Amino acid sequence: MSALGGGSSGGEGINPTASLIALVIVLIAVAVVFLVYPAATVPLIGVIIGGVLISFGVHFVPVGGAPAAMGQAPGIATGVAMLAAGGGLAGLFGGAWAAEFGIAISLAAGAIGGGLLMAITCLMVNVVYVFAMGIPAASGKVYKDPITGDVFPPYKSQGTEGHGLPFISYVGGVLGGLFGGMGGTLIYYELLQVYEEALPSFLGATTEGLTILAVSLAGIFAVGMFLVAAVLTAYNITGTIEGPHDPKFKRWPRAVIGSSAASAVCGLFAILLVVI
Amino acid sequence: MSVKIEASEGGMPHDKMLGIGVVGALVCLYIVYLNSLMSTDVFAFFGGLAAVIALWWGTDSIKTLCSYGLGTGVPSAGMISLGSGVIAFLFATKLAGISPLLVPLGCIIIAAIIGAILGFISDKVLNMNIPVMTRMIAELTIVGSLTMLGFTAMISGSFIFTDLIAGSVSFLGMVVTSYAASVIGGCILATIFMLGAIAIQHPFNACLGPNESWDRTQMCALECGFLSMLVVAVMSVAFLSLFAVVISFVISIILWGWSYSEYIKLSKRDAYAWLDSKPIREVGGE
Repeated sequence: MSALGGGSSGGEGINPTASLIALVIVLIAVAVVFLVYPAATVPLIGVIIGGVLISFGVHFVPVGGAPAAMGQAPGIATGVAMLAAGGGLAGLFGGAWAAEFGIAISLAAGAIGGGLLMAITCLMVNVVYVFAMGIPAASGKVYKDPITGDVFPPYKSQGTEGHGLPFISYVGGVLGGLFGGMGGTLIYYELLQVYEEALPSFLGATTEGLTILAVSLAGIFAVGMFLVAAVLTAYNITGTIEGPHDPKFKRWPRAVIGSSAASAVCGLFAILLVVI
Repeated sequence: MSVKIEASEGGMPHDKMLGIGVVGALVCLYIVYLNSLMSTDVFAFFGGLAAVIALWWGTDSIKTLCSYGLGTGVPSAGMISLGSGVIAFLFATKLAGISPLLVPLGCIIIAAIIGAILGFISDKVLNMNIPVMTRMIAELTIVGSLTMLGFTAMISGSFIFTDLIAGSVSFLGMVVTSYAASVIGGCILATIFMLGAIAIQHPFNACLGPNESWDRTQMCALECGFLSMLVVAVMSVAFLSLFAVVISFVISIILWGWSYSEYIKLSKRDAYAWLDSKPIREVGGE
């Protein structure tokens, strides 16, 4: 689904030199934070883990793009960035409400929020596919559904890559929402801890009303980093993916490496904000 | 290695647009700083102009990037642009603690660093192998941060961190400083974020195709930019004097009206045929 009809370009395999450089970037970011503001080292590692969770989770989400809208490919008929933003931000908002109850409840709320949004989306997508477009759910990439064992070829229309949203893709979508929502919430939660601790000292003011400032800053940074990690993953997938059974799913290690470096750099600047 | 497909023939070279974008946005942002020097806020609308100039340049960057098969939609480039731009922008506003004059220039430099790293990751680590990727992602991050900086300056009349976090509310005749009534505390940034993201991801996404022409896409970029500027002008009621808001609003609406009519003209020019459909008429009873 390229914009101008050019072939999608994502090659297979891992580029070892570049991956090593990416890991060095992660280490440098952690080292810089450790030197200038040691209290934020653990939060930065949390932010990196959050970015990794987002990018791993996005691989589960069945993204169909424009072909899916025409019933020619399986998946949800929109782009990776939009789906990840929807699922992840729903989770982020859910987790942000629960931030005062501690990290465990906050992460759980974020995961449930993201998973719930994806579950509802996948259900309604299938309702539209089956009852409005009149197409059965069938994948073109595998012979039978790994979970239910249903076979696909008898239901697949000729000339398509499959259509609808098979059960495995539904499960993948919900898992993707869980991971994405949890990752977004983790980034938000860790940044919130840093800001709530550091803002009163560098503003030299009372803590009155500073919470709202910390929430706003952490929220907008979490949204920004979430989108960065999600779009980098979208570039890794290059367009469409059916879920965990798709061969493209095996590309996740390099997205995880890339997203960890990206989250480390973005997290470094977000934390340095309170240092300078 | 992917094959490049020429999006449109002719038009201004990309390097020239980059120059105009950077210099134009910087000049407009420094004019906003006159607000602080002259204790006024009438120059706030120059922030919006800076954002629109950056968006105009960013549209061409997206076009150059998407001339290669990205594999995913054009809007993703807009989302990464603003997503990384907001980080560079917020960090740059803190540089005002050293010198306020550092903010616009620092914004560009920090965005370039973040963008170059993100571009390297997508090009090499994710094996996209697109020759212009590193440069274009870096450019898009700069565009995203300049858009945020410009619109923020337009809303509050300042781009200094301490001004952005402190608002004032009038309570029983007393003016009290309140963090909740500020640009950052009130989370106006989230609205600016989406206004900028829509303005940068829409133009090329709307105009792409075999019949895409440079001037029509760029006019669509200006139209989207001025439309966002119009909304920002309305939102600035909360922070600026009424006189400054009226100036911002009138300038935005005039520029938006001009760019919209120009865009419709260019669309008619490029269209094979044009049917001016009238509103649906009630035919029953006649």
